Amino acid sequence: MGKLLTEMLKGTLEGIVLAILSGRPAYGYEITAWLRDQGFSDIAEGTVYALLVRIERRGLVDVEKVPSEKGPPRKVYSLNAQGREYLEEFWRTWSFLAERLEQLREEGK
Amino acid sequence: MDTGSNEPKSRYLQYLEVVTGPLEDKRRWRRYKARTKQLPESYRTAVEAMERYLMHFGPGDGADAASMYEDLADLFEQSAADGTPIREIFGEDPVEFVEAFAQNYSAGRWISRERERLTSAIERAAGEDTGEEERTV
Repeated sequence: MGKLLTEMLKGTLEGIVLAILSGRPAYGYEITAWLRDQGFSDIAEGTVYALLVRIERRGLVDVEKVPSEKGPPRKVYSLNAQGREYLEEFWRTWSFLAERLEQLREEGK
Repeated sequence: MDTGSNEPKSRYLQYLEVVTGPLEDKRRWRRYKARTKQLPESYRTAVEAMERYLMHFGPGDGADAASMYEDLADLFEQSAADGTPIREIFGEDPVEFVEAFAQNYSAGRWISRERERLTSAIERAAGEDTGEEERTV
């Protein structure tokens, strides 16, 4: 399942991370840890970081620097209005894709 | 993440920057180098390997490149503080991570310019020429 999961995750990781952030603000490491817990065990911290930089630059999240006990301040990401809009678009697209795939599977039976 | 001041530049400085490129970018670069020197050895080795790759395939000079190296230093400082193993930062395929990272800073990346050039050449060939000059990315 490993390789296939990684490939499929590529197109959906952005939506997954936005969905996580719609629940509550989080910093990078928390997001990676949550994904690992949920069974995406091969996910690289750097991949998540690159994605967070991307959604920040595209204005989908707000960023706040919060002092941390150890090391530099942490960047805490929260979903903003534009991000919410994008997430809704993601779910609409996802429903479309899931529906079509289910249809294909049913027809193949 | 512009850390520059908004004071007007002297004529001399304006002239100098035409010759040497913005001094602020150079300052940001030196700050980045100083930050990575402080990292534990394995993290420093990793960040230097990434730096080498980005020198070839990342954005050239400029504010975008300066932001990129600052974000890179942020990641490695945080990872070193959290004790995140190097392999967990990079995953199985370091190139994939580095490419995803570099794509965020596409301005001045030669590969972005070439992609843009290809796209407009195909537009012209397909008869969809919009009359626009080649857009610079």
